[in-house]
Amino acid sequence: MKRLPVFFVISAAFLAPSINAQTAAVMTDRAAARFLDQAAWGPTAASIAELQQMGIAGWLSAQFALNTSDLPDQPLVASSGQANRNLAPVQAAFFQNAVTGQDQLRQRVAFALSEMWVVSAVSTKDAYAFPPYWRLFRDNAFGNYRDIMKALTLSPAMGNYLNMANNNKGNAAQGTAANENYARELMQLFTIGLTQLNSDGSAVVDSSGNPAPTYDQSVVTNTARALTGWTYPTAPHATAKNNNPAYYFGQMFAVEAEHDTTSKSIIGGATVPAGQTAGQDLDSVLDALMAQKTMAPFVSRQLIQHLVTSHPSPAYIQRVSGVFLDNGSGVRGDMKAVITAILTDPEARAGDDSSAAPNPNFGHLREPVLFLANILRGLNATLGASSAIYNNAANLGQELFYPPTVFSYFSPLYTLENGDPAPEFQIYSAQTATNRADVVNTILYGALDKSTAINLTPFEQSDVSSMVNYISYVFLHHAMSSDLQQAAIGAAAAATGTKAQAQAALYAVLTSSEYQIAQ
Amino acid sequence: MFSRRNFIRIGAASLGTLALRRFAEIPALAQTGSGYRALVCVFLYGGNDSNNTIVPMDDASYKAYQAARGSLGIPASALTQVQSAAGAPYGFFSPLAEVAGMFSSKELAVVANVGSLVQPLTRAQYQAALAPIPNNLFSHADQQQQWQTSIAQGNSPTGWGGRVADYVKAQGLNSSQFPTFLSVAGNTLEGAGAKTQMLAISPGGSLELAGFTSSAASQARWNALTNLLTLNSGVSLAQAANSTMSMSIDDAQALAGALGKAAPLKTQFPATTLGQQLQQVAQIIQVQSILGMSRQVFFCSVGSFDTHTGELPTLNTLYPELSQALAAFYSATQELGMAQNVTTFTESDFNRTFQPTSGDGSDHAWGGHHLVLGGAVQGGRIYGSFPTFELGGPDDTDVRGRWIPTTSIDQYGATLCSWFGIPDSAMNSIFPNLANFSTRKLGFLG
Repeated sequence: MKRLPVFFVISAAFLAPSINAQTAAVMTDRAAARFLDQAAWGPTAASIAELQQMGIAGWLSAQFALNTSDLPDQPLVASSGQANRNLAPVQAAFFQNAVTGQDQLRQRVAFALSEMWVVSAVSTKDAYAFPPYWRLFRDNAFGNYRDIMKALTLSPAMGNYLNMANNNKGNAAQGTAANENYARELMQLFTIGLTQLNSDGSAVVDSSGNPAPTYDQSVVTNTARALTGWTYPTAPHATAKNNNPAYYFGQMFAVEAEHDTTSKSIIGGATVPAGQTAGQDLDSVLDALMAQKTMAPFVSRQLIQHLVTSHPSPAYIQRVSGVFLDNGSGVRGDMKAVITAILTDPEARAGDDSSAAPNPNFGHLREPVLFLANILRGLNATLGASSAIYNNAANLGQELFYPPTVFSYFSPLYTLENGDPAPEFQIYSAQTATNRADVVNTILYGALDKSTAINLTPFEQSDVSSMVNYISYVFLHHAMSSDLQQAAIGAAAAATGTKAQAQAALYAVLTSSEYQIAQ
Repeated sequence: MFSRRNFIRIGAASLGTLALRRFAEIPALAQTGSGYRALVCVFLYGGNDSNNTIVPMDDASYKAYQAARGSLGIPASALTQVQSAAGAPYGFFSPLAEVAGMFSSKELAVVANVGSLVQPLTRAQYQAALAPIPNNLFSHADQQQQWQTSIAQGNSPTGWGGRVADYVKAQGLNSSQFPTFLSVAGNTLEGAGAKTQMLAISPGGSLELAGFTSSAASQARWNALTNLLTLNSGVSLAQAANSTMSMSIDDAQALAGALGKAAPLKTQFPATTLGQQLQQVAQIIQVQSILGMSRQVFFCSVGSFDTHTGELPTLNTLYPELSQALAAFYSATQELGMAQNVTTFTESDFNRTFQPTSGDGSDHAWGGHHLVLGGAVQGGRIYGSFPTFELGGPDDTDVRGRWIPTTSIDQYGATLCSWFGIPDSAMNSIFPNLANFSTRKLGFLG
């Protein structure tokens, strides 16, 4: 693909800081915008300037310290007197935060974590469950993975969704066994996966070339027994019971009478000794999982996929895995170190130099929430409290807080027909491709809900090629291909007036695969 | 891989003539319904507890069922009793009233204890790993894949429905380029072919792009969009996105044009997820001759079958949705005079543990019972055999009642495909493990 040289013909009002930045140490517009596509919900003129001023290290440390976005707590009961299942205010606030919130990196990492540690309103229906659940990701995004594991395991929302809440020990008289749901998915989806991995993400194979499983059914059964005996927090003014009814503020607590105290053989051949409390058993399970080296590539690969590229090289995974295992000070699971390693890796940064040949396997399809947030940021959108932009995301296959199953909206293992990993393509079909183009049409041509507005003023430039170049700066890291530039200019040239020209060019760019795939 | 069809450059054509290539290829009314065949998959995501779909009601079986199922055991009063053609009593869980009715009227059959297998397998072989065992048993994602690919070990990039579509294309069985495999439930591995791409649409959705008029400015914008789709930047993900968008544009007008010519169906479909999906399928079957299709595979799905807790209340919601939608769909095929030409069948991740969990639910298991519906089905019968309802018994993998299948997905799929018109000589390439089983056709479709 031919890349255009970086021009500086853009209105100085929007680019002043980058034009002033003349020393070699300052990031180019391209490098800054690319970085912000990976570390934020997308670049804006202001955030590009800020990053250029701070540099990556300074920006990261500032972002690690920021924690500004919240989702509003919801009433337990709706005005109808029924349980409140309306998540609209939470979904709207999510998009407000994404488009205008300051703690961009924290939000991106929290969202990625929420797509791994899934709770879905499809079956956990109380709206008030979700803001506290979301805060666990927000507040632990830059902590330690072990803390994320414990916080989510004891989250009442998770307890409801995967049935760790009120999972009583097996009862021979009633013919029941401990519920295996949470034990299985904790291992399969949240921590280590089904197959033992080398540090570069490749499967460990046995002498006949078959992948080595991480655990068998007996480990699931035993772990399920170790995780028995937890119930929901006791609601205010209620009396604590062994099996409390669902209540979503606070943490689940242990009920020793419902905990199976026999010994259990769990992951990696570890033994949970007999006679421990529920809390001790939980720590034994989490420690045993933390000790599995497979966790490092398993978690690292997914975080890379969410932030940077669907198809990281084995070497990239290995470098990040190494940091996951040891942050340099002997600490395993240090999220700040892992995130820094992901975003500053040479493979992530290779495309910053526009003269370098693009890596044909690099990048990822912008998932619907990212796609919309990115467009809205680029178009200087303002979102009111009742913005319904989340409905558009739902129409593209990503209804916030309603992933269809515990496997989230799409699987990290999904591949194209040629075998290339491409998780987001699981929800990219003829229908959703059409719907994406249609939502671009809706955004640009003005039929959004009353609480969501864009501002095209910066794009309304009398010189069409300058205008297209500005689009390139905002949406394509200042490196739009000559083909796409030609197409956008062709679309704009046939329109009348600077606004219609900007709309036409933006339509051509935002519906193009060159934009949809964040490279 | 993704250039299923080269997108034609549209140039200055007016919008009204865009993407008309497909129509030009269709001989007017060349197809009649008589040779038409459609397979319709209804995937029950999450793992349906089919132990509670149908229950053998002979004294010994039902006593064993009650003894081991505990809180999940359905009382006889909530089982709609039917008699198989062989004279044995069975009960469908009563929320499946329409399914029970169609079994009695011989339009629906049950295939018992079907699941992923490499080859026939005994408990002794399983426990001592003396024979090949499917990968990652009891995992949702893996067992879904195995149902959809009919490949029990290793990753398959193609689904068995996609391989059927490849066969249809290679044989030129359809007179148009409209995709053989169509999903109304999103992308599915089942429809991925080596040489063909599936089409996924939303029920009632349109593939036609909004915002275009016949103005010159609009035309220029359309040209920008479509011309870009013809370019190859060398970026594999961009090519994949272009391919999907091209397919949407290619098929949009053919679909809208055909559906626009159809009279509304008189059959009323329930306003449920599955009801709407099957209504869309019925509407496309209605216009199969206009689309130039003589062989089609459809994919529908309904979720929330992962009943680890509170199972019976959940099934009381899900089973009526399933039962009523299947009944409406069968009625629609009758209305269209196509009941003999359409066969509907269920798939699901896995069956569930016979032994309950402490929260009145059940955990992931293996072999389960499936429904096959259609005018060509030799219904009112049970095919295959039910497991022995004994925890730790001869059909159990362990001690919780995870049944080792006695009929493989390969056999189930090959029986459907044989009726669909796939010759036996081509069957082993679609179902590679079929060769490991002595029975290649289960008999439910003659």
